[in-house]
Amino acid sequence: MDTLFRLVSLHQHHHHPQAPSSPDQQQRHHQSPYNSRSTSRSTTSTGSRSSPGSHRTHNHHYYPHSHYTSSSSYYYCDPAAGAGGYYYDHHQPAPYQQECGSDHGGFYMDEDFSSSSSPSRHFHHQPSSAAPPASSPAPTPPPPPPPAPSSASAGGHAALLEAADFSFPQVDIDLDFGSPAASSSGGSGAGAGAGAGAGRWAAQLLLECARAVAARDSQRVQQLMWMLNELASPYGDVDQKLASYFLQGLFARLTSSGPRTLRTLAAASDRNASFESTRRTALKFQELSPWASFGHVAANGAILEAFLEAAAAAASSSSSQPPRLHILDLSNTFCTQWPTLLEALATRSSDDTPHLSITTVVPAAAPASAAAQRVMREITQRLEKFARLMGVPFSFRAVHHAGDLAELDLDGLDLREGGATTALAVNCVNALRGVAPGGARRRDAFVASLRRLEPRVVTVVEEDADLVPPDPGAASTSEEAGADDAAAFMKVFEEGLRFFSAYMDSLEESFPKASNERLALERAAGRAIVDLVSCPASESAERRETGVSWARRMRSAGFSPVAFSDDVADDVRSLLRRYREGWTLQEPGTDDAAAAGVFLAWKEQPVVWTSAWRP
Amino acid sequence: MLQGVLSRAPATDSPAAAAMKAKRAPASPDDEDDGEGRPAPGKRQQLLGLGSAAAAAADEEGPETRGLRLLSLLLRCAEAVAMDQLTEARELLPEIAELASPFGSSPERVAAYFGDALCARVLSSYLGAYSPLALRPLAAAQSRRVAGAFQAYNALSPLVKFSHFTANQAILQALHGEDRLHVVDLDIMQGLQWPGLFHILASRPRKPRSLRITGLGASLDVLEATGRRLADFAASLGLPFEFHPIEGKIGHVADAAALLGPRHHHHHHRHHEATVVHWMHHCLYDVTGSDLGTVRLLRSLRPKLITIVEQDLGHSGDFLGRFVEALHYYSALFDALGDGAGAGAAAEESAERHAVERQLLGAEIRNIVAVGGPKRTGEVRVERWGDELRRAGFRPVSLAGSPATQARLLLGMYSWKGYTLVEEDACLKLGWKDLSLLTASAWEPADAAAAPTPRRGSQET
Repeated sequence: MDTLFRLVSLHQHHHHPQAPSSPDQQQRHHQSPYNSRSTSRSTTSTGSRSSPGSHRTHNHHYYPHSHYTSSSSYYYCDPAAGAGGYYYDHHQPAPYQQECGSDHGGFYMDEDFSSSSSPSRHFHHQPSSAAPPASSPAPTPPPPPPPAPSSASAGGHAALLEAADFSFPQVDIDLDFGSPAASSSGGSGAGAGAGAGAGRWAAQLLLECARAVAARDSQRVQQLMWMLNELASPYGDVDQKLASYFLQGLFARLTSSGPRTLRTLAAASDRNASFESTRRTALKFQELSPWASFGHVAANGAILEAFLEAAAAAASSSSSQPPRLHILDLSNTFCTQWPTLLEALATRSSDDTPHLSITTVVPAAAPASAAAQRVMREITQRLEKFARLMGVPFSFRAVHHAGDLAELDLDGLDLREGGATTALAVNCVNALRGVAPGGARRRDAFVASLRRLEPRVVTVVEEDADLVPPDPGAASTSEEAGADDAAAFMKVFEEGLRFFSAYMDSLEESFPKASNERLALERAAGRAIVDLVSCPASESAERRETGVSWARRMRSAGFSPVAFSDDVADDVRSLLRRYREGWTLQEPGTDDAAAAGVFLAWKEQPVVWTSAWRP
Repeated sequence: MLQGVLSRAPATDSPAAAAMKAKRAPASPDDEDDGEGRPAPGKRQQLLGLGSAAAAAADEEGPETRGLRLLSLLLRCAEAVAMDQLTEARELLPEIAELASPFGSSPERVAAYFGDALCARVLSSYLGAYSPLALRPLAAAQSRRVAGAFQAYNALSPLVKFSHFTANQAILQALHGEDRLHVVDLDIMQGLQWPGLFHILASRPRKPRSLRITGLGASLDVLEATGRRLADFAASLGLPFEFHPIEGKIGHVADAAALLGPRHHHHHHRHHEATVVHWMHHCLYDVTGSDLGTVRLLRSLRPKLITIVEQDLGHSGDFLGRFVEALHYYSALFDALGDGAGAGAAAEESAERHAVERQLLGAEIRNIVAVGGPKRTGEVRVERWGDELRRAGFRPVSLAGSPATQARLLLGMYSWKGYTLVEEDACLKLGWKDLSLLTASAWEPADAAAAPTPRRGSQET
């Protein structure tokens, strides 16, 4: 755990025999994180930076100066012995510089440097879990002297090795911190459409860092994480937030502590969640963004139409009993969807108002999530009261289910109420991704089990992102498997970054600057990000799939799509008009015959998919 | 409020505290062995008392519950960091983040930034990379943001004005009778301080024959923009003005001649220019580059006056001591800001406060909590500039006269409540509810002829 780079460095040692191997040497490197003055103490603005073999480090300047050229030459003296700030120019933002010369431990007046948190403590003390001897020396050797940048002509392979050796390769990232406002608000979508929020420094650095992680390039990982750590903030602009949450994920991945980190995060959130805070957040989200309400409106429309149809059929079949409707609600939306349906049912039923039962399955982060229980008790009371007010005969049941949705016992739910149910609807809002993807076609199996319930209608709302890693397939060698892993990790990372960039961006533009509700939504996204970046897919409830891919699963389970009626489509359109600009309705492309449903798009990027199905 | 809790808590010496202490002792064997990295026993004792008092209180209901829980968690987390138990520290961070908020009450706000700072520190300890990031495009963007936040700060709290007013008054006293003036601002930023000085100079019957400002800063672009603004302002007042930007840090400037500028390079004090040096401290970044180099330079420059505004915030000693002191300090500061933008504050005002807290105070907290403290270098630091300047041949100049009058006027002018002004020795201290936040002091060469000592208190304002 505390040897962050143990694994990667193993790999690196393997490939780089020239990496420092003498423990003494490394120890010396580590004692002085700021390292020391480089020997080339250049005092002028010209010169040594680009000359081969020079250290390219300047003690005294922030930048490669384009110097203030007054007639007075502006001299620098050597810093006082042992003193001196060390700054890195932007060509080489290296967290370390090489150690040369004397040991500076004596100058470090702060315990921070001399002992407590020095890297030597972290990277050198033998971890209790036995690491192979080869890995014990210095998992993170500071860069050896920067190489002469002479081998620009070296072939691809050589260049790769070289990059792993040291310091930040020459400006391969041109970061733009230019207009923070432009990236956080009024972004105009110019960059939003292009992949992972192109043009954002956070996306650039995070992708570089993820690539370095995938390539097990410990040096580069360290440098990029250092930069990200310096720049990130959960309270900053969109870039800083993305950097903060994805960095948390990368950190958990590198320390192999993903599941543990996720548990800690979920427990902290659970302990501090109340009905009030949950309600405020859910309502604010609906009030300011169509992200959630889009699915509700469309799904309610489809459910209502299917129910009214069923009720009419029941009435004509001369049954004297009012029809009984049942909704199996698999969702994470705290029933915010149902008041409008109750209202519509009360006003649009022609004769007898049908009886409505709702069985809502609440996904619980922990087996005994106290917060979820508290919240659902309160919600139950309120819904029942509201139904009475509307004059809808109503019964409500909350089923707390921890773990994978596929393990839910559907037959045990008695959705037919002993045969009394006239029509069953299944409402899945951000729920199907709660079935962990797996080799055994688990998701197809779950959809098929919904089919066996013989529902009148199934509504499916999912966030549109392709976060399922490709099947590992049959890698014949461990090397190939490693490459597959790296490719799968990169795919999920990139797509996750694209998706959550759009999400964070939409939150930033929709919410006021100071909003605790937005912060709560961002933290929830942060937990999903940790899950995606650092936890195995087989234990994940965050592996979203695209709408097209879900449509394929629905079709193969024997469902056919129900087109949304004009009424429903009008409702959705008028809903979107209530929000700020940037939201649009998108039909699925015609290039995939399996596609169905409609998409909600933020700045032209589809983000939420909603659809209705019948057997 | 968090500050109140902090100052009240040391009274506790409950059995719980003792138990906690006993429990912890074996968990940190290193503690006893290596003398380094260990908080002073007194402080530790106090901390443990604090932590458990807060923990005990956290179980009860009440308006302070959240603040107490946060305090307890922050202290536990800082202790874990101090004992190098990073895994434990990591386990506490999510809870802190959940309870804290940059948009909440002042304890929640201050805890949000301390939590964020601890999080960054833990990661940087894992990485073993501690230095601040210095990227040119970043510096430009940051300096724009900091500039905006400083102006908001100036409007929200009297701290910035206090610094400007007292220093300007001290400078005016010292320059009495001089007609060629040179101000060296060690960290000029936007130069917000100087229009005030220009104004007074221009309103005097005898305007100065020359007025020059040498400003140091990290970005030449920013410096030049500052220079242009100041030049425009001086021109509008009919003052002669020159600006001399220096991109770099004072501690790295080779000798006084470089500061005195081209005309003076070969002819020291040719025009008998009176030079004053001004420096307003903060923890946003390292200003001096080298404290020792700075002292040496000041000694050789021998300016007629040095004005310094320091934060009453110690950075010496171990991490835990620094952390607790900073938690005190910023709790008071956030409290004070909360007052400024308190009840009925417009959304706009609270957005401004948020900008100040995030861009300025939050950034300072990060640096203080980071490995190495605010400077984030391993170099020797000057802790008490007064002592250091005395050793370097300077003596204090009393600010009891018109600077104190100015400061008092300032506090009276606005509806800021809770701020206090204390004259101590020759210095002026601005505090918030008895916790001193800023100390302004002025220094002159000890061997300066006591000659033109200005008549105290009779200065025009």
